Amino acid sequence: MGSLERSKKKVQLWKKAVVHFALCFVMGFFTGFAPTGKASIFSSQIISSNKSYFSPQPIEVLHSAVTPPAQDPKNDSLAAETPMQIPAESERAKFLEEVEEREAKLNPRRLIIIITPMSSKDAYEGVFLRRLANTIRLVPPPLLWIVVEGQTESDEVSEILRKTGIMYRHFVSKENFTDPQAELDHQRNVALRHIEQHRLSGIVHFAGLSNTYDLAFFDELREIEVFGTWPMALLTANKNKVIIEGPVCDSSQVIGWHLKKINNQTDSTPPIHISSFGFNSSILWDPERWGRPSSVPQTSQNSIKFVKQVALEDETKLKGIPPEECSKIMLWQLKFPIENSSSDSLSNTAVDSNQR
Amino acid sequence: MKLSALQQSYMNRRSTSFRGSAPLDSSSEGAIKSPAAIFWLLLHGVCCLISLVLGFRFSRLVFLFLFSTSTSNLYGPPFRQLTSTVDLANPLNVPSNPVVNTELPALNKTLSSRVVVGRHGIRIRPWPHPNPAEVMRAHQIIERVQREQRNQFGVKSPRTVIAVTPTYVRTFQMLHLTGVMHSLMLVPYDVVWIVVEAGGVSNETASIIAKSGVKTIHVGLNQRMPNSWERRHKLEAKMRLHALRIVREQKLDGIVMFADDSNMHSMDLFDEIQNVKWFGAVSIGILAHSGGADESSSATVEDVEKRSSMPIQGPACNASNKLAGWHTFNSLPYEGKAAIYIDDRATVLPQKLEWAGFVVNSRLLWKESEDKPDWMKDLDSVDEDIESPLSLLTDTSMVEPLGSCGRQVLLWWLRVEARSDSKFPPGWIIDPPLEITVPSKRTPWPDVPPELPATEKAVISIPEHTVKHAKTRSSRSKRRSKRKHEAKVVDTQVSARHSEQN
Amino acid sequence: MRVSMWFLVLLLVFGFNDRSFAHQRPRTERISGSAGDVLEDDPVGRLKVYVYELPSKYNKKLLQKDPRCLTYMFAAEIFIHRFLLSSAVRTLNPDEADWFYTPIYTTCDLTPTGMPLPFKSPRMMRSAIQLISTNWPYWNRTEGADHFFVVPHDFGACFHYQEEKAIKRGILPLLQRATLVQTFGQRNHVCLNEGSITIPPYAPPQKMQARQIPPETPRSIFVYFRGLFYDVNNDPEGGYYARGARAAVWENFKNNPLFDISTEHPTTYYEDMQRAIFCLCPLGWAPWSPRLVEAVVFGCIPVIIADDIVLPFADAIPWEQIGVFVAEEDVPNLDMILTSIPTEEILRKQRLLANPSMKRAMLFPQPAQSGDAFHQILNGLARKLPHDEKIFLKPGEKVLNWTAGPVGDLKPW
Repeated sequence: MGSLERSKKKVQLWKKAVVHFALCFVMGFFTGFAPTGKASIFSSQIISSNKSYFSPQPIEVLHSAVTPPAQDPKNDSLAAETPMQIPAESERAKFLEEVEEREAKLNPRRLIIIITPMSSKDAYEGVFLRRLANTIRLVPPPLLWIVVEGQTESDEVSEILRKTGIMYRHFVSKENFTDPQAELDHQRNVALRHIEQHRLSGIVHFAGLSNTYDLAFFDELREIEVFGTWPMALLTANKNKVIIEGPVCDSSQVIGWHLKKINNQTDSTPPIHISSFGFNSSILWDPERWGRPSSVPQTSQNSIKFVKQVALEDETKLKGIPPEECSKIMLWQLKFPIENSSSDSLSNTAVDSNQR
Repeated sequence: MKLSALQQSYMNRRSTSFRGSAPLDSSSEGAIKSPAAIFWLLLHGVCCLISLVLGFRFSRLVFLFLFSTSTSNLYGPPFRQLTSTVDLANPLNVPSNPVVNTELPALNKTLSSRVVVGRHGIRIRPWPHPNPAEVMRAHQIIERVQREQRNQFGVKSPRTVIAVTPTYVRTFQMLHLTGVMHSLMLVPYDVVWIVVEAGGVSNETASIIAKSGVKTIHVGLNQRMPNSWERRHKLEAKMRLHALRIVREQKLDGIVMFADDSNMHSMDLFDEIQNVKWFGAVSIGILAHSGGADESSSATVEDVEKRSSMPIQGPACNASNKLAGWHTFNSLPYEGKAAIYIDDRATVLPQKLEWAGFVVNSRLLWKESEDKPDWMKDLDSVDEDIESPLSLLTDTSMVEPLGSCGRQVLLWWLRVEARSDSKFPPGWIIDPPLEITVPSKRTPWPDVPPELPATEKAVISIPEHTVKHAKTRSSRSKRRSKRKHEAKVVDTQVSARHSEQN
Repeated sequence: MRVSMWFLVLLLVFGFNDRSFAHQRPRTERISGSAGDVLEDDPVGRLKVYVYELPSKYNKKLLQKDPRCLTYMFAAEIFIHRFLLSSAVRTLNPDEADWFYTPIYTTCDLTPTGMPLPFKSPRMMRSAIQLISTNWPYWNRTEGADHFFVVPHDFGACFHYQEEKAIKRGILPLLQRATLVQTFGQRNHVCLNEGSITIPPYAPPQKMQARQIPPETPRSIFVYFRGLFYDVNNDPEGGYYARGARAAVWENFKNNPLFDISTEHPTTYYEDMQRAIFCLCPLGWAPWSPRLVEAVVFGCIPVIIADDIVLPFADAIPWEQIGVFVAEEDVPNLDMILTSIPTEEILRKQRLLANPSMKRAMLFPQPAQSGDAFHQILNGLARKLPHDEKIFLKPGEKVLNWTAGPVGDLKPW
């Protein structure tokens, strides 16, 4: 090999190396323009599609950037950290939680929104609220409990609710009512307005304080697509008859109603019980989805009325539950004299006089 | 200078090892390649990488100079703008939303702050509703946090709660028993539920308590529930004693409480009774009701008074928080008005002291246990007709008042029953089906003004009343098939159905 | 050898680059030692503060005129004054003082609706400085470098409630050399001088104490926020207020039942915070808000949404460990970000928040307690000691320009 050739080769290699480096440099240069870092990854995700939204990785990146490693010596001395205790917990609770966790991973559940209006006239509301809370606490999440209370001086209701551990919203309506029925209606509307304003999506059910539930009821409630209705038992103290009201179904199709007349004088049909139906909350804020013009001025309106109108227009969307002929009662309502004023039933107070 | 020298030597080495052909894939040259050659190859790669990174850094610097518009994020403005344009272009991206999605980065070069001062876009993501999987995850977090709170602040090493419930099959059983059951299901400690049923073990009761998921002991007592309140109380006492004997026989360890199916519980009660050493008492709020006697007179002055303060039954303490006596239910106002038989439409009165107001350490009931106090009578020697658990003691001053010395009411008593001849569908399954009083097309929604469109009324009213549910099976199944067909249509053609209906 | 040299060169380039980008991440400088220890520091004996006697028109008279100044979120300026008067670090001999304090309530000037508008503050401050520089020799010695001022307003010593105007004004020229104790904290902002001490806003300690609920009350709210999303009056177009971040919170999460967010301030606000797991602390007009204090005191993990925020006592409180930082841009992903935090980490943050020293450092209690926010301020001042010799000016040397700033500020107060 001549020295000339050799040096030529050398130059070539030089060139090759320089080209390599230059190429890499340019590559790096352009990758630099690509969006990087946590923030930009997200923005690009938002642009591209919502599929990437399910991908957990970027979040981990962000997260590690946000939180320093756990072995940071500072936190150990920062201390007064209560030592981890994993003691005494009933095995049953643990087991239930495990089951719960497993289930949760498998199938996300639909939101249940329970609305409970409370009369300011009822001295025992706290007792019944606790009882209802004990039931609702057992319903697997997600569940939102909207409790609307009349104006009172005591914060008993807040305290009761706070201890339940249920996810709830508590409203105090400021208006004064002489008619307890009107008050409850107003409170239901307060709750519906909240759903409407927040566009909460779930199945709405009105639960009166004196309702008792079979827990399976809430599973059925989750199955409702648009409207659902079910029979309920109205129990009254010292009566010999159990009043069962509600839909009569063929499979899950409602073919009629079994309702008692209020009294003989008027021949208007008694309304179905406010606790005996549930509906998809999107009816309140997304009427177009349900084939209704969106022009209805909603906020100023009586929300319950609006729901009813939708229901009336298309009763085929009404589903009876449980789907087997709606034949199982899963909801009981207790009526006893103390509660006269606060009873949820709209027209059944006089039923007994006919019956006896 | 040094750099070039370095390169020079590197190149020399390279030229010797590469020998003009591609080095990596040829196995024949593997022998020729010295470790040094591999090292230089690696170095070459590393240098390539470094220049890549350098290029990357350089580009960012360029970026910084180009767009140093005092933003916190170097890529902020251009990319955000991109977002907004895409948002506008894509109809999926919340089209109805009134909020402007535009981005107007204020290019104020005089600012030294890197966070843009001025107008920013309001970033709205295209998927509007919460992701159900995340919702579930959040609930798991909440659940875990609450569990941690219980572990940290709750009762340490809790004892088992042994709940004793006398019951019998009746119309109100489901309503009452479910309430108690739900309370017990929520107790975060181990629970043993002893259900004693009058009239023997029934499927009705068994099917209710089977849903609880708590450990239950369901026993029957071959005696029917009598009709008078007086005798009822006696039988119930007997049933409770029966349960206590089970506790004694099986040596169940824990705290015995008397959870009547007519009780309502605050969950705080279950924490509070963990404090009992041997024999405790809690206050009960009495929900006295008029039993539907006279609904017109229910708003008497007396009634209003009752409402303002709920009667309480339970331990009474003196100033030094020692047990001084008992608050008992004042039955005087009800003299002659109280219910004697279950069918009476009058106020049902509680006993002087309800069993539900007492909790007992189960070791007190055992035949022999260490340091068992001597003021407890032996269960076998106790008369069957005792009125309250206090009769089990020889010295009632040993009772520990719980719940801030009885000031805190943690459970309530409500005795309300249907008439004894009241019937209910077995298992609460409606069979045969109910009679249709209102046809489906005229669903009377609550609060809706009864006047429906006149035309509709006229058309439907005639066939309506003939729709009775007592139809033959055949017609029904015909209906069903038709319905099923319709149901399918509903899914696909909502609007079509709509017109068909009206 | 030479190879390593080459690498060194590269590393240098790298290092340089890195530093220029380091500001992107929220990073707080920590002094050595554990954060907990720093919070427990006792400032007494480590510094001496001389409190100037000013005519009461600079402080007490203002308060008499409007007692509301005692309860709003800028009340720190008043309580720090009261605290220092009776503090063990106070010295009556100015010659032995390390720090000089001018008790002046610049923000105690409220509109009838309670809005603090600091239009008169620059003139007032100027007047006070003129006064101390003529009556005492200490100001002129350093032109304020060993003086500290409490300026708790939105944008500190920039004295304007609108950020753009505040930036245009910049820190009052006369305060350029002084140490500012302020609530405003944002990295690389003209209204935040290097060396300033960022303090928490004032939140009423007694009231918060009285509303504590038992710690076992189950936390059943996932995310809690009460406050404005849009400031329609001051920002009708939207997008200026909170840099759009609050509006984004509302628009993206109003329909999420896990987000208990609303504009209505309920009577149970404090209690609700105590049963929430995450409390949103988004920026408003300024990056800070009283929610930071409330969240820490009530053990609710603060979710800090304010890019480049400088948090109160960031050298003593491990904010990254007790809180969650979310970039303003990432607000649309807030639910994803929060639900993907490992539960163990959430529990750890809660345990750290339960640490009483953390809560104490955020409050200005009456009377003062050791470790409270007053003491943290003193700690911060003590850590700056001893003063650099360079701050002392040669006789006759002038650095500050007394005629700088808007003409309006130069008028007498």
